[in-house]
Amino acid sequence: MNRPPEGPQNCEALSEDLIEFALGTLSGRSRSLVLDHLESCPQCVAELESLATVADTMLWLAPEAEPPLGFETRLVERLREGDVHRATARRRRISVLAAAAVLVAALGFGVAAITTDRGNVTPPSATARPATGLLTSHGRALGQVSISSGNPSWMVMTVDAGTWTGVVWCEVTLSNGHTETVGKFTLASGYGSWVAPLKSSASQVRSARLVDSNGDVIASAILD
Amino acid sequence: MRGSYGEDVSDEALLSGVAVGDDRAVLAFVRRYQRRLFGLALGIVGDPGMAEDVAQEAFIRILRHASVFDARRGSVATWTLTITRNLAIDAVRVRRPIPTAPEDRVFLELVSEERSPVDAAVMSDAVSRARSALDLLPVEQRRAIVLAVMYGRTIAEVATLEEIPLGTAKSRVRLGMAKLREAIAIMEAP
Repeated sequence: MNRPPEGPQNCEALSEDLIEFALGTLSGRSRSLVLDHLESCPQCVAELESLATVADTMLWLAPEAEPPLGFETRLVERLREGDVHRATARRRRISVLAAAAVLVAALGFGVAAITTDRGNVTPPSATARPATGLLTSHGRALGQVSISSGNPSWMVMTVDAGTWTGVVWCEVTLSNGHTETVGKFTLASGYGSWVAPLKSSASQVRSARLVDSNGDVIASAILD
Repeated sequence: MRGSYGEDVSDEALLSGVAVGDDRAVLAFVRRYQRRLFGLALGIVGDPGMAEDVAQEAFIRILRHASVFDARRGSVATWTLTITRNLAIDAVRVRRPIPTAPEDRVFLELVSEERSPVDAAVMSDAVSRARSALDLLPVEQRRAIVLAVMYGRTIAEVATLEEIPLGTAKSRVRLGMAKLREAIAIMEAP
């Protein structure tokens, strides 16, 4: 990925993207670049907050309207249904997380040689540690990523992203700047947990991110 | 709503009640915000059924995440409106992948030069502030800002919908945002 230069020049280059970021309409690589820049630029963070305040103020312009009859009742029903589904999803998530933790431990520390439908794979060295990172969005933790050091490397990702349901794509950014799409999976009521092999080795992976069908980055993680 | 969650209770206190699972707080919160959230959703999606889905999904998110609301990052009202706007825009994009120009009454009223004195009389402070700031903009900037901020159109889409070059759309949004920021700062100054 060709990154713009750091410093004030970069702030100027990203100023228009920052407006779209504040309005929530920036997607894809431009959004990632802005996110990366914001991590190290307090001036642009302040500018973003100022722009977001303007955008938020304008939302008051929408006139109020009376919802259809029964709105409250239907909402309460949905809340109750959601509580039941959420409790089920949470139980499922805990069991998947436990299984994922065991898998990462096995893959990352070479407890045993593992055979998959791709044939025999090489276990990682006993000293190699899995690369891990926290999936975040706007500073909020939404999940975790771990990548084992064997061949192939395996990615384990767990996500808890509110109540959003839909298909998302997982991508990793490599040290040579290329992007590898690891796969797509489904978040149900905000939860998802999955394991997939990588084409690249763990040492090449610098970051991971979740992208929705519009190309918008839902969350990203720096791996170390 | 009678009892401990009357109209005098602050949004933050109400949300704290929601966060600890108080059903009365949930109901009071829904009653306080349902007209505003539904109105915003309806303005963006244009269809009452779809707007109800959006408003309900917004409430579900807000109520479920009440415990993580951070008052240092903005008001409860702003938080709820932003969540609703984003959901409404997502819903429109799923239904209409190719953006169309909004033709609803809300859009036409917002970009119009004329104001109804009756409307002005019933505006809350927050609405009045937003309206006054928007009125300072030339019509072309106002249209670009409303399309981008309220309807979630990208600047490239603004250019297409307004049939103007991309650079012109960028300028209109940039200048519009700058003027709005200045106007809002003056209004909020002590």
